[in-house]
Amino acid sequence: MATILAVIEHRQGVIRDITFELLTLGRKLAEKNNAQLIGVLLGHDTQSLAESLRTHVHRLLVADHEVFSDFNGETYQQSLATIVKKESPFLTLVGNTAFGIDFAPSLATQLGFPFTTDCIGVEMVDGRIRVTRQLYDGKMDAHVQLAESTSYVLTVRSGICPAEQGGLSAEVEKIESPVVSQPDHKRFIEYIEAVVGDVDITKADVVVGVGRGIKEQANLPLVEDFAKAIGGVVACSRPIVDANWLPKDRQVGSSGKTVKPKLYIAIGISGAFQHIAGMKNSDTIIAINKDSNAPIFNEADYGIVDDLFKVLPALKNKILEIKK
Amino acid sequence: MNFDLTNDQKMLQEEVRKFAQTELAPLAPEIDKSGEFPWPNIKKMAQMGLLGVIVPEQYGGSGFDFVSLAIAVEEISRACASTGVIVAVNNSLTAYPILQFGSEDQKKRYLPPLCNGEKVGAFGLTEPNAGSDVAAMESTARLEGDCYVLNGTKRFITNAGEAGTFVVFAYTNKELKHKGISAFIVERDTPGFSLGKHEDLMGIRATANCELIFEDVKIPKENLLGKEGDGFKICMNTLDVSRIDIGAQAVGIAQAALDEAIKYSKERKAFGKPICNFGMIQSMIAEMASEIQAARLLVHYAGFCKDKGMQRFSKESAMSKYYASNIAVDVARKAVQIHGGYGYSRDYAVERLYRDAKILELYEGTSEVQKIVIARELTR
Amino acid sequence: MDLIVCIKRVPQTAEAEVKIDASGKDIVRDRLTFDMNEADSYALEAAILLKEKFGGTITAISLGTADAEDTLRIALAKGADNAIRIKAEEFAQLDGFKTAALLKEVIKDITFDAIFTGCMATDDSYYQVGPVLAELLGVGHATLVSKVEVADGKAQVNRELEGGLIEHLEMSLPAVFAVQTGINEPRYASLIAIRRAAGKEIRVVGREEISIELKSNSTLEGLFLPPVGKRAEILSGSTDEISTKAATIIKEKGLI
Repeated sequence: MATILAVIEHRQGVIRDITFELLTLGRKLAEKNNAQLIGVLLGHDTQSLAESLRTHVHRLLVADHEVFSDFNGETYQQSLATIVKKESPFLTLVGNTAFGIDFAPSLATQLGFPFTTDCIGVEMVDGRIRVTRQLYDGKMDAHVQLAESTSYVLTVRSGICPAEQGGLSAEVEKIESPVVSQPDHKRFIEYIEAVVGDVDITKADVVVGVGRGIKEQANLPLVEDFAKAIGGVVACSRPIVDANWLPKDRQVGSSGKTVKPKLYIAIGISGAFQHIAGMKNSDTIIAINKDSNAPIFNEADYGIVDDLFKVLPALKNKILEIKK
Repeated sequence: MNFDLTNDQKMLQEEVRKFAQTELAPLAPEIDKSGEFPWPNIKKMAQMGLLGVIVPEQYGGSGFDFVSLAIAVEEISRACASTGVIVAVNNSLTAYPILQFGSEDQKKRYLPPLCNGEKVGAFGLTEPNAGSDVAAMESTARLEGDCYVLNGTKRFITNAGEAGTFVVFAYTNKELKHKGISAFIVERDTPGFSLGKHEDLMGIRATANCELIFEDVKIPKENLLGKEGDGFKICMNTLDVSRIDIGAQAVGIAQAALDEAIKYSKERKAFGKPICNFGMIQSMIAEMASEIQAARLLVHYAGFCKDKGMQRFSKESAMSKYYASNIAVDVARKAVQIHGGYGYSRDYAVERLYRDAKILELYEGTSEVQKIVIARELTR
Repeated sequence: MDLIVCIKRVPQTAEAEVKIDASGKDIVRDRLTFDMNEADSYALEAAILLKEKFGGTITAISLGTADAEDTLRIALAKGADNAIRIKAEEFAQLDGFKTAALLKEVIKDITFDAIFTGCMATDDSYYQVGPVLAELLGVGHATLVSKVEVADGKAQVNRELEGGLIEHLEMSLPAVFAVQTGINEPRYASLIAIRRAAGKEIRVVGREEISIELKSNSTLEGLFLPPVGKRAEILSGSTDEISTKAATIIKEKGLI
């Protein structure tokens, strides 16, 4: 039977959300194509992790070895190369995450399989893989056909296939670890936790996120005043941190913090998917942006298409009036 | 015939544009309000070599030509008109006359600090009672032993409040009329030299525009630029060069106004569609864009004339300054018009650009003076 | 250290209007400005900082059309010593894989201690070129790199993971580092450096030099505008009316 292989992503003893999304996508593709979904878990002391995966896959391959105690892209690549060769899946799915992109493209290259990255849609057409990807800062989507092959590797963006319950009951299949020593090129040293600043944006009920639209650092007080009026904290998108206007611990998004406040107000944020990933689960999202085509309006509950420099002071006054 | 920029000019344009849009543009509204001289950005420009664009490397400059300087001044002015004129004055009104008319010692001593941002330059010509009529100046310098003793007042001097090196004009012999004017390099810390009133200007508000007061200021003889009586020639030749940069500044301001107008006209809706779809708006945008391009070509041509070593290019330089100033004011006016009431608000850049543009028709020779220069050249 | 930096000239689309062209496979490019890919400018700066510390040379390589030479010249002005352009116009279907394969064909004849690339390009957002290039060259790699320090022939490397967590690795050299944005402050080229770089020769490599057939992984079928998702309810009216509506919504949610 044809198989689809999905690589389980976990870190510091916890399975990452992307894994269940990937497994949901994998099951759907397997059902449509009369295939089986195989989960591959590389780790050390992962019994409890394995347990939580059993309902999501048809088969669960577990390689337990201390070499997998911490993530190392090179160890993963070498191990998966062996496993993929043995299992010959027609598709290998990996998250398009810091974990996945560190080994998936080189793994596919090593195996000589067609691959692509950061897919937001995957379909099988006549035995070939056709994916949807985003180009040009997320302003365009593209259909991409992969070259003809017996096997493919894809990395899939997080958040595009919401996780669903599995309803399967795979047995754990223990396999020999294909790799038993630290690799040549790369040695894991440690995880360094993010510096904790004065404000924890993940704990606030109201988060005011600011992006490129603020134009200059000198305009930040405008946003801070607004946040103060509404009783929220100021967070931001990546360009603001890259420009050193706000510290890293204020960054919302895939490489920053994930926030789930009751209210998220996105100010001058266009809505790159990396940012969306960090705030899409907020209860209510209000977006203020001059560009009515900004992707942020596809995520927000309420949109204000106007100049933020006009709206912010006006809205602040309204809020202060109500508070009185 | 070739309109292409050279490789180094293209690169300069690209890099200066990126620098100006990233580092200068964000500060433009702020320094317009505060009037603060943008020292941090001046230091950054010094690092890039923008303060001595036309100064040869041996004196600490970047060794580019005058077309390149015009390109740089356009890009800087497009981001911030105040910074644009600060750079123009440093390059073409201070470094240039020293480079062109100074002795080897003067060049070695005064050019490096002007290029590396240690000192900013200023040009002391205009007086309370002598603007267009240069020969009406009242400042005098009389030779006493090893020094000239300078007395007089200069007004509306760009950069003056923050400058360290001044090129100053005064009569050494009033009877010879304009042939009795001499030029001097004056350092800021010379005893008897003080700053007067700081001008609260309508536009280009961050340019430290100040009055210069000279009371028995002793200037060493070796600071005479050129020979006694060369002042008028130095002044006219310098203005021929610097007017190209004012033309470039005008093109930059006009381009910024057009950029803003186009952006706004695509965002702003009226009667159910963006206003850029309306004929009246399109007509203005077409005029603005054509005028800017014509002005830019005049400016580049004037620079080209200087670069190829033409002895007289007063007409070309005056034409570029006259036309570019003229259209810059008009383009800024139209940009405000396109913005409607919002264009009259300080929240929008065009309000500042309109104020910044007006000076172009006034300084370094009013538009009327430019016309005189052009007409004289054509009828002599 | 002898370093290689791979750079790409890309359209600046973050704040521009992007439209599909007549072919349906590309965007309308004539109104866009082009510049060095953002992450690549950080990669270049990272290499320059290492060169300043350890000496050596930097070779900048770009797969692009003739315009890419402008970007390579800026790299030369900022601190690269040599520049090579691979003629994109002579190769079709340039996906991330084929790009890396072409780069490999040029790099295989150059000795190097490290290669720097951006972690992704803003135009095709592949995240592929660095790691694939490393695999093809048989050296190690790290992606999303936020710091590289070299001592005793080894590199201490930080990778930026989700949630602000940093993965600290020790890597042997040579290696490929695909760097994140924001990790340093890319310098501007000085005018003198620009003038010197303007005259430098850029080696151009095309079909003649790279004659082997390289396959691509994928074919772009067509572009389309991203479908509108759930779409926000747009609050309309004057600024004052909009503000009142928004404030009311916030109040109804019990947040003020």
